[in-house]
Amino acid sequence: MAVDIFASIIKAMELIISGDPELYGIVYRTLLFSGTAILLATLWGTPIALAISLKEFRGKNTIKAFFNSLIGIPTVVLGLLLFLAFSNGGPLGFLGLLYTGGGIIIGEAILVAPIIISIATTAIEAVDPDIMNLAKTLGASESQAVVAVLKEAVNGVLLSNLAAFNRAMAELGVALLVGGNIAGVGMRTDVLTTAISRYTQQGAFDLAIANGIILMLIVIAINMAVIVARKAKMLLVEVKPWVERIKR
Amino acid sequence: MNIWQKLIIVAALATIIVVAGTIVYFNYVAKRRLIISTTSSLYDTKLLDALETDYEATHSVDIQIISAGTGIAIQHAENGDADLILVHAPAQEKTFLEEGWGENRKIIAYNFFTIVGPEADPAGIEGKTASDALKAIAAYGENLADQSGVTKIWASRGDNSGTHSKEQSLWKAAGYNYTEVSAEPWYGDVGQVMGATLTYADQKNAYTLSDIGTFLAYSKEGTISSVALLTEEKSLLNVYSVMAVKQTVAANQSYHEQINYADAMDFIKYLVSTETQQFITDYKKAEYGQSLFIGAVQPLKDDAPQPVVQWIKDFAFFNGSECPPQYRNGYPELYT
Amino acid sequence: MTVVAELKNVTKTYGDNTVLDDVTLQVQEGEILALLGPNGSGKTTILKILAFIESPTSGEVKFLGEVVNFKKVEQARLRSTLVFQKTVLFGASVYNNIAYGLKVRKTPKNVIDAEVKNALRLVRLEGFEKRPARKLSGGEQQRVAIARALVLKTDLLLLDEPTANLDPKNAGILEEVIAEVNRKMKTTIVIATHNMFQAKALPQRIALMNEGKITEVGTSAEVFGKLSKNLARFAAVANTFVGTATATSEGTTMVDIGNGVKVEVTAQTQGEASIFVNPQDIILSKCAIESSARNVFTGRVTEITDLGSLVKLKVDVGKPFTVQITKRSFSEMGLNLNAEVCIAFKASSVQVF
Repeated sequence: MAVDIFASIIKAMELIISGDPELYGIVYRTLLFSGTAILLATLWGTPIALAISLKEFRGKNTIKAFFNSLIGIPTVVLGLLLFLAFSNGGPLGFLGLLYTGGGIIIGEAILVAPIIISIATTAIEAVDPDIMNLAKTLGASESQAVVAVLKEAVNGVLLSNLAAFNRAMAELGVALLVGGNIAGVGMRTDVLTTAISRYTQQGAFDLAIANGIILMLIVIAINMAVIVARKAKMLLVEVKPWVERIKR
Repeated sequence: MNIWQKLIIVAALATIIVVAGTIVYFNYVAKRRLIISTTSSLYDTKLLDALETDYEATHSVDIQIISAGTGIAIQHAENGDADLILVHAPAQEKTFLEEGWGENRKIIAYNFFTIVGPEADPAGIEGKTASDALKAIAAYGENLADQSGVTKIWASRGDNSGTHSKEQSLWKAAGYNYTEVSAEPWYGDVGQVMGATLTYADQKNAYTLSDIGTFLAYSKEGTISSVALLTEEKSLLNVYSVMAVKQTVAANQSYHEQINYADAMDFIKYLVSTETQQFITDYKKAEYGQSLFIGAVQPLKDDAPQPVVQWIKDFAFFNGSECPPQYRNGYPELYT
Repeated sequence: MTVVAELKNVTKTYGDNTVLDDVTLQVQEGEILALLGPNGSGKTTILKILAFIESPTSGEVKFLGEVVNFKKVEQARLRSTLVFQKTVLFGASVYNNIAYGLKVRKTPKNVIDAEVKNALRLVRLEGFEKRPARKLSGGEQQRVAIARALVLKTDLLLLDEPTANLDPKNAGILEEVIAEVNRKMKTTIVIATHNMFQAKALPQRIALMNEGKITEVGTSAEVFGKLSKNLARFAAVANTFVGTATATSEGTTMVDIGNGVKVEVTAQTQGEASIFVNPQDIILSKCAIESSARNVFTGRVTEITDLGSLVKLKVDVGKPFTVQITKRSFSEMGLNLNAEVCIAFKASSVQVF
C-alpha cells in the first residue's frame, strides 16, 4: 500500500498552517458537538451523582454498578439505537434530530453521561460526610449545603468532564449513524472521526492519517492543559502566602 | 423548592433548549434540506459532491448526502429519512416501486463493472467473459493448496449493495449456487464499501468485482496494485437511477410531511438536463483517460450507441419502460 | 432569667439504640453551660438537637420562646451554631472558611472583611486569612472553626469537646477565648466535655450526663461541692477515683481508692470521698526520688499519647493515673510501654469532692 506516514505528517502540518477551511470546519464542529454534549451530560449527570451519593436507598450499589457498566457501551450500538429512535420511522422522529448536529450532541451526551455519573459519584462520596452538617449549622439551607458538598468535590467533577471529553472526541458510532457524516456545501455534520472514516473509504489515506494526527494533537493538548492548570493552581495556593510574607 | 427539584429543572431545560434549538434551526433558520441517500460508488468518486456544489450555486437548497450503500438507501427511504435515492440495483428498484415507496424513476448514468485482480492473474481470467472468469476463479480456488480459509482468491462486498447484487447475479449466471459458493474457504466476505473491499482484495492478492469509477480512483492514487482484467460486456453493465420518495406511503397511507418532494423533483430534472448529463460524462475524463460515468438520458432518447442501449433496456427497464406509468406522478416532460 | 433554649422530655433513638432518654434541660441566656459526661452519654446528640441538625424522636424543643418545628428549621439554624468535636474545614482559605456563614447570610463584603479580621484576632490567628485552612496545625484548625462560629454572633453557641485534642497551650488559649466571648458579647454557650477540670473552671452551670440521661444540674459550686456519686462515677475522666477517707494522726486524710493505693490529701473529710489529681501536678520519675511529695507510687507505663509538645502517659500503680510531661522530658527519660516508673504528687494538689 502506498501510504507514506511521513508524507501524512507533512500534510497534517500543511492543513493546520494553511488554515484549510475544510479542516477547520471539521475541527470546529467536533469541538462544538463534543463540548456541548459534555455540558449537557454534566447537567444530567451531576444531579444524579448527588442523589446517589447523598441519599440513602436500597439498591444503591446496583444503580452504581449499572452506570459503571454503561461506561463502555460500544458507540456503534448506541449510534444504531439512536438512529432507529430518531429516524422518521421511529418513535422520536418528530423531533427532527436525525442527521443534525443536535442529534449528535444528544447522542454523545447520552454516551458520556455514565462516565460523569460514575466519577462524580466517587468524588462526592469522598467528601467528608460532615461537610453537609457543617454547612447547615453555619446557616445553609439544604440547597446551599448540597452546593457546599459539590464545591468540595469539584476537582473530581472536572476530572469526570475530562474523561467524558476524551470519550466524546474519540467516538465514531454515534456521530456517524446519527449525524450521517454529511459533508459538502451547506450544513454539515461531519466531525474528525467520521471524516477519517470517509477519507479511508475514499482511499485518501494521507488525508485520513493527517486528520487522525490532528485529532490526537487536540486531545493531548487539552489533557495537558488541564494538568498544567491544576498544577499551576496548586502552586499558586502554596506560594501566595509566602510571597505575601516576603513582601512585608 | 428543594435543590433536587432545582437541578432536575435545570437539566430538563438544557435538554429542551438543545432539542428545540435544533428543531427551530432546521425548520426555520437553515435552508430547506434535500436529503439524498446514495450508493457509495457515486459518492466516493466525489461526483455527487461536484453536482451538489454546482446545484447549490443556483438553488437555495441545502443538499445533504448520506452515502451508505444501496440497501441502506432503500431503508432510509422506507423510514422517510431520505427525499431521494440514487442507486444501481434494478431488481431492488423494481420492488421499491412496486411496494409503493418511490416514484418518478429516471436512469441517469451507466458504466461497467469489471473484475480486478493481481497483475500476475494466477487464475488466468484476462479477456474472458464474466461467466468464464468466475468459473476459472472458482476452479483456481478449489485447487488451492491452502483450504483453511486463510488464502482468499475472491473478495465480495457482501453488503447488499448494488455491486453485491450484481455479483450474485453473475455467479448465478455462471451456474453457481450463491449460498454454496460464498461459503467456500477461498471466498472472502468483506462486508464493507467498495474502497475497503478493493484494499482487501489487493492485500490478499484476490479478485473482486468493482465499478470502474471507484477502481480508477483507487488505482490512480497508487493505493492498490490490482488491474482490470475484463472488457465491457452485457453482464457487467452497471446502471444508475434516481427515484423520488413518495410523500404518501402506500403501505399504511401515512403522510411523510417532511419529505421534500418539490426539491427532489427539481433535482431529478437537474440531473437529466443536458448540461448536467454532459457534466457527468465529462467528470474526471481528462484525469483518467476515460469517463467514470456516462450520461444515459440522451443515449436512451437516441437509442444509440448500440448494443449498450439495448443492454440497458434489457437490464434496467421494467415492463418496457424506465418508469412504468403507474409509478409516475406529474412531470410529464421527464418521460417524453 | 430568659431561657434561650429548652428541651422538654426529649428522647432520641437510632433504631434500637436510645441515645437520649427523656431529657429535660434549660439553657439560660448569657450563661456558659457544660454538659459533663463520659463518651456515649448523649452530649453530642443534645448539641446537635440544639443546633437543629438533628431532630428528636419525641419530646419538645423550644428556642427563643417558640416551639421548634423541625420540618421548617432553616431560620432557627441561623441563630444557633455548633462547632464539631472533630474539626471540619472546607478545602478553602481560612478567610473563606470563616466567611462562609456570613456569605450565606448575604453580609456585604466590607462587613465580612472586618468581621473575619476581628474573629482572627479573637482566636489569636491574625494575618491567617489567605492560608489554606487544611494546612494548619490541629490547634490552629480548631481555632479557625471557633472563629467561623463566632462571626455569626448567634444566640446560641455550641461547642463539642472544644479542647479534647489540643495540647494545654492551645487548650488554654481556647478557654480564654470562650470566656472572653461570653463575657464581652454575652453569648450563650453550651460546652460538651468529659474533662472535669475544664468543666469546673469555665462554666457557670453544669449538667451531668450518663447513658442518655441528665443525672444532675446545678451551678459549679453546687455540683462539685456535693459529694456526688454521679460525679465520681465519671471514670472516663482521668485521675478521678472513689474511695474511703479516714483521718490520719498527722492531721491529714488518707483515701483508700482500692488495690492497695492510698492517697494522702490535705482536705478534711471522712467516709466516702471522690478525689481528683490534675495530670500536670504529677511528677514522673525513673523511680524512688526523695521529695517532699507525700504520695509516691510505683507502676508501669500502660499507654502513651503524643500531644505535640507534650506527651500524655497512663501509669498503672494499682489504679491508672494519667500523667503529662514535656516531649523533651519524655525523650530524655527514654520511656516506652511497660517501663517501670514512679509517680509522685503533693497531698495538697489532690482535690476532694
